[in-house]
Amino acid sequence: MVAEIDNLLTRVATKDGAAFQQLYDRFADRVFRYALTILHDRHLAEEIAQETMIAVWNGASRFAGRSKASTWIFGIARNQALTLLRKEKRAEQSPPPNLVQADPAKDILAREQVMAAMESLSADHREVVYLTFYEGLSYGEIARILGIPPGTVKSRMFHAKRKLAEALT
Amino acid sequence: MSACESIRELLPWYVNGSLSVREARDVAAHVARCDQCRDELVEWVRLNVEIRQAFDEMGGLDEGVKRDVMHQTAGRTLANVNLGSFLLGLSFGASYHNGRLPIRGDMNLLGRRIRLVSTSEEVSNE
Repeated sequence: MVAEIDNLLTRVATKDGAAFQQLYDRFADRVFRYALTILHDRHLAEEIAQETMIAVWNGASRFAGRSKASTWIFGIARNQALTLLRKEKRAEQSPPPNLVQADPAKDILAREQVMAAMESLSADHREVVYLTFYEGLSYGEIARILGIPPGTVKSRMFHAKRKLAEALT
Repeated sequence: MSACESIRELLPWYVNGSLSVREARDVAAHVARCDQCRDELVEWVRLNVEIRQAFDEMGGLDEGVKRDVMHQTAGRTLANVNLGSFLLGLSFGASYHNGRLPIRGDMNLLGRRIRLVSTSEEVSNE
């Protein structure tokens, strides 16, 4: 799987459009969800997903292979999201988040509770939880994406868990 | 840091399967004999499932975003044909991009891609 993604990225570096479509299909939604955990705004997250995938197309030849391709792509997304956040100065002004799409299904309530618990976390804690459980990344990979020591990743998770447990009981 | 503390901080990554073999073995051995850490592990497993389901509920990107991205990058794929296998194969692709119709042909030999033809202005770095 990892080699397959790396191979796709190598092909994208040669401007192989079919390879880029495959890479887009594998990553765009994931980048969108990650951006949403940071930005709390679907429109801005969409913008970041778009900008990130364009940056991948333009910069694929600069991927040096020192980390996994997914680590590199999420790193781009994070930088784009934080730049946008600084530009828009939305951190303090964000409206009440609406991360969950309307769904009439009965069991949505439990999931909304989980998402509400996620929303009670700070962005720093939320992205660690997202990258661990949704993306299945190791603490070392998360540390590289966030540019922090692995010990800080672990302590953020510890605090996130405590808040999640409080919010869900 | 106590043995329990150092094991507990690894549990989220034990659950997502990303620990090294050695770390995973240490966690497994510890939780087999420690009730408190085993309870904590069960809690993480439950959270893992709930969090994944909650993120799935977020929905994905609109198809329009893909069209915009493709328009600004690779263009629209008109045809893509792959013949043969990983060991020996041929692939041809044609797309529409900014009024041009770039065509590309590659040969795959033992997993290595060799460009045969490209009418794109981009320079291959292989």
